[in-house]
Amino acid sequence: MAAPPEPGEPEERKLLGFLDVENTPCARHSILYGSLGSVVAGFGHFLFTSRIRRSCDVGVGGFILVTLGCWFHCRYNYAKQRIQERIAREEIKKKILYEGTHLDPERKHNGSSSN
Amino acid sequence: MAHAAQVGLQDATSPIMEELITFHDHALMIIFLICSLVLYALFLTLTTKLTNTNISDAQEMETVWTILPAIILVLIALPSLRILYMTDEVNDPSLTIKSIGHQWYWTYEYTDYGGLIFNSYMLPPLFLEPGDLRLLDVDNRVVLPIETPIRMMITSQDVLHSWAVPTLGLKTDAIPGRLNQTTFTATRPGVYYGQCSEICGANHSFMPIVLELIPLKIFEMGPVFTL
Repeated sequence: MAAPPEPGEPEERKLLGFLDVENTPCARHSILYGSLGSVVAGFGHFLFTSRIRRSCDVGVGGFILVTLGCWFHCRYNYAKQRIQERIAREEIKKKILYEGTHLDPERKHNGSSSN
Repeated sequence: MAHAAQVGLQDATSPIMEELITFHDHALMIIFLICSLVLYALFLTLTTKLTNTNISDAQEMETVWTILPAIILVLIALPSLRILYMTDEVNDPSLTIKSIGHQWYWTYEYTDYGGLIFNSYMLPPLFLEPGDLRLLDVDNRVVLPIETPIRMMITSQDVLHSWAVPTLGLKTDAIPGRLNQTTFTATRPGVYYGQCSEICGANHSFMPIVLELIPLKIFEMGPVFTL
């Protein structure tokens, strides 16, 4: 996340000067879906009502709602994934440490399943 | 350490810092959306062809722009409070290190298992080896084990200082006559830098903090346990 840009790489760009979409997990995904939602909502509203100004308002509202929705959904899944990764890492460490001993997680698991 | 002209947070080296970065991303996304909305409203206000823009009655809009910010603040406050209480969790530290601020260096005391005490001065530019970092490297680093809860007791011998290591999410004031406590658990080995974060005189910028985090097995073979 905090790696400096390599000499050949383009300079990092931030949305509105502060949102680093490249390095923030889920940001790029949320903004892209938000933009798509904004275009769909705004254009769809215009097709049905032919009101330009109101369609722009719907577009902006759609952008905010879709971005927020995608953001929370993605971050929730990201947090779940991180927890699973941490559990897997700790289980692998335990397996390596206790393999062959009475504390071996696999032995406990096989013992309980055979019972 | 931070790279040149870095304004963002450094990579996390402790679980608390990971949570802080997550919260920072969350708050920044909300700020971005609010800024987008405000910019759009500003654009509409500046480009309208209407000559009379007085609005005498806008009850619904006023209700919305009162309730909505309150909801947004709650959405920001809840994760913030969660992290605040997480930093105060009691986790039974395995090691206690004292850090004492002076003008203009730090003294570290490892007194749990012996009497190791040393000073940590910034390396002057003339004493730097190739590869050393100017204004950041010190003569004696604080060597600590990873994946071990550590308690830092921080105080000062003269004026206010502040012991800060951004990658661990730590910043604790060193106040003369007071003992402040902070705890952390580092998740990965490496060398991590911080700088004094409370103005303390002419050389305030020249009393850095360097932590060298190593595996516990190697730490146990070091001077802390063998002196």
